[in-house]
Amino acid sequence: MSAANLLRSQIEARLPSAFAVYRRPTQKTIPTGISQIDDLHGGVPVGALTEICGSSWASSGKTSVLVSLLANASQNHFCALVDASDVFDPTSADTTGMNLSRLLWVRCGKSQSRLKPLEQAFKVTDMLLQNGGFGLIVVDLGSIAERFVHNVPLSSWFRFSRVVEKQATALVFVEQQPHATSCAGFVLRMTTDPATFSGKLITKFNLKAEVMRTREKKPIQSASDFSLKTLWA
Amino acid sequence: MYACLFAPDFSVQAACRMEPHTGRTLRQSLIVALDGPANMLRVVAANDAARTAGIQIGMTKLQAETSGVSLRKRSVANEDTAQGVLLDCGRVFSPCVESTCLGTVIIDLIGTEKLFGSPENTAGKIIRYAAMFGFELHVGIAANPETAMFAARGYSGVTVVPEGVEARWLAPLAIDILPVSPEMLDILDAWGIHTLRALAALPPIALTERLGQEGLQLQRLARGHTSRLLVPAESTGDVIEAYEFEDPVETLESLTFILNRLLQQACIRLVSRSLATNQFEVGLDLEARQLKTEQSTEHYQRAWKLPLPIQDGRVLFRLACLDLEKNTFSAPIKKITVRVTPVRPRSVQHGLFVPVSPETEQLEITLARIRGLVGSTDENGTPCVGSPAVLDSHRPDSFAVMPFSSQTKSGNALRATTSILALRVFRPALEASVETTQDRPHYVSIRQKRFRVLAASGPWCNSGQWWNASAWARDEWDLAVKTWEGIGYYRIYLDKIRKQWFVEGMFD
Repeated sequence: MSAANLLRSQIEARLPSAFAVYRRPTQKTIPTGISQIDDLHGGVPVGALTEICGSSWASSGKTSVLVSLLANASQNHFCALVDASDVFDPTSADTTGMNLSRLLWVRCGKSQSRLKPLEQAFKVTDMLLQNGGFGLIVVDLGSIAERFVHNVPLSSWFRFSRVVEKQATALVFVEQQPHATSCAGFVLRMTTDPATFSGKLITKFNLKAEVMRTREKKPIQSASDFSLKTLWA
Repeated sequence: MYACLFAPDFSVQAACRMEPHTGRTLRQSLIVALDGPANMLRVVAANDAARTAGIQIGMTKLQAETSGVSLRKRSVANEDTAQGVLLDCGRVFSPCVESTCLGTVIIDLIGTEKLFGSPENTAGKIIRYAAMFGFELHVGIAANPETAMFAARGYSGVTVVPEGVEARWLAPLAIDILPVSPEMLDILDAWGIHTLRALAALPPIALTERLGQEGLQLQRLARGHTSRLLVPAESTGDVIEAYEFEDPVETLESLTFILNRLLQQACIRLVSRSLATNQFEVGLDLEARQLKTEQSTEHYQRAWKLPLPIQDGRVLFRLACLDLEKNTFSAPIKKITVRVTPVRPRSVQHGLFVPVSPETEQLEITLARIRGLVGSTDENGTPCVGSPAVLDSHRPDSFAVMPFSSQTKSGNALRATTSILALRVFRPALEASVETTQDRPHYVSIRQKRFRVLAASGPWCNSGQWWNASAWARDEWDLAVKTWEGIGYYRIYLDKIRKQWFVEGMFD
């Protein structure tokens, strides 16, 4: 036995997990309900932190993906939406077929509180993760100014990613830019192309989804174009 | 058979019931209960240890203090609550329960042998059950209510008087155990009658000639030859627990300690009746003399409605604590009352295809904590936490927030899903200024930023509720505007009543 192997066996005798390689469990996914995005990665990974990014001033499609994801997930799971800016539209959600009675909607920033909406959203997310039992927790920070989200310490993202790793929960953040860096298991960037008009009516929105990051190997196709109809089309 | 539940030194027991290790305290410590005006407090009850140490009923507070006893102030509210608890103890073992007097409850045990076993076993179970509520009971069981009561009052522990030999068991007891008037007691004392044996041995006719029907009735009681029906006590339905503090408390710790005990005991009472609760109230009486402002109320009341029946007192306590922590009171608290509404417990049919849901009790606490963080309602009174529901209205952005529950039956229905473009709503709607060309928006300013309109779709006229004060009328436009980040698709509208442009939201 070589000296290295001898040393290794002696260390392992005292510390059995000293050379153990941490292997993440095989990821399950929750489909977003938009086949073009699901074809890229299978959906939103369970037990991981996901970021869906898009512009705040220009339309990007991040909210539509979020609503579609919630509608799909609410058929089989209890879901929670932490709405930092109170921008969720129940009418749009109901039209998609979302099971609204299985959705817990937390509207932050609506009362006089010493905490800012961003802080409230993070604390509420922490409580919901501790409570457990939710298949999907979505935190919508899409309307919070970028400079505030940018100041969230990396340790917070890291903590969320480690906590959710041990649960059968998909944790999704909707933001303008990705911030969780390596803590995120899946990062999706949404952009939009000019919409399709039918006479005076806007009938179709042309969107583009680009996978920025996954835990596994890069997908063969990292971007996909698709379109969504408007409510009245 | 009848059983009598007798709590000796009831005033002392009622005062000590909420203290930890009540049983040990009652056995080992010298405790007396005081009553009367603040400057004339006198001993009205004392436990065995105190009496052995020389404490006598009627002593002044100063005399009692010199004997090194623990003093408790007698509270009528605490005694009433304790009597209610004692009645509930009886109801666990029989549906027919009589509240004979404070500290004494008689129950009808006929037909309960198959449920609870022999009379000795039943009495043991009664004593153990009452101990959970801080009572130390003497239990007497006999063929008639009065004999059971005298046995419980005259002997400690469990006393079972066999049928037909009541007189022999009652014989050694002192004459003052009978409900006898002071005048009658003086006469009997003058005759040298000090025990029930002596009274029972007197010739009935001669006794009636001298003392009348009252004397004859006393002799029947002494011989155990009476029979009567119980007067059942009415059940109020709600489980009520209350505690009056000797001195008003100012700290949350003191309050929550008692609150915890009250809620735990209320839940034990529910469980013993195979019930649960989905609604409970906590009431606090404030010390009126110390109210800091004239507007302050003397009573604080808070009620909780739970989506599902719960039997766990810890959940109720946590919910109440989260609310109390948010409040500040204008005066110390002198009394706390807990009212729990009983309902049938929930029954859940588990299934392989039922989704994993948050645990109900834990979820209620989490939701209460979230409400404490983000607030209960917004400025319009709409809840901030719950399940969204779309209202049957044409008014844009009309929704309600319903209580969230992980056990909804309606939530199990599957629906077909479609993906559509969602609206990102601004609440409240953003004020905007719009420059028009040929009645169509040409430039729009949102949040002090001016954007050129690339395309505009509209106007879509919409109005409603013209018959009341909340009338609304608007012309909606869907705009494509050029921003520095790309093209933004917004919904704006002209409020025809306020003559003002607003941005309702962004298609995103």
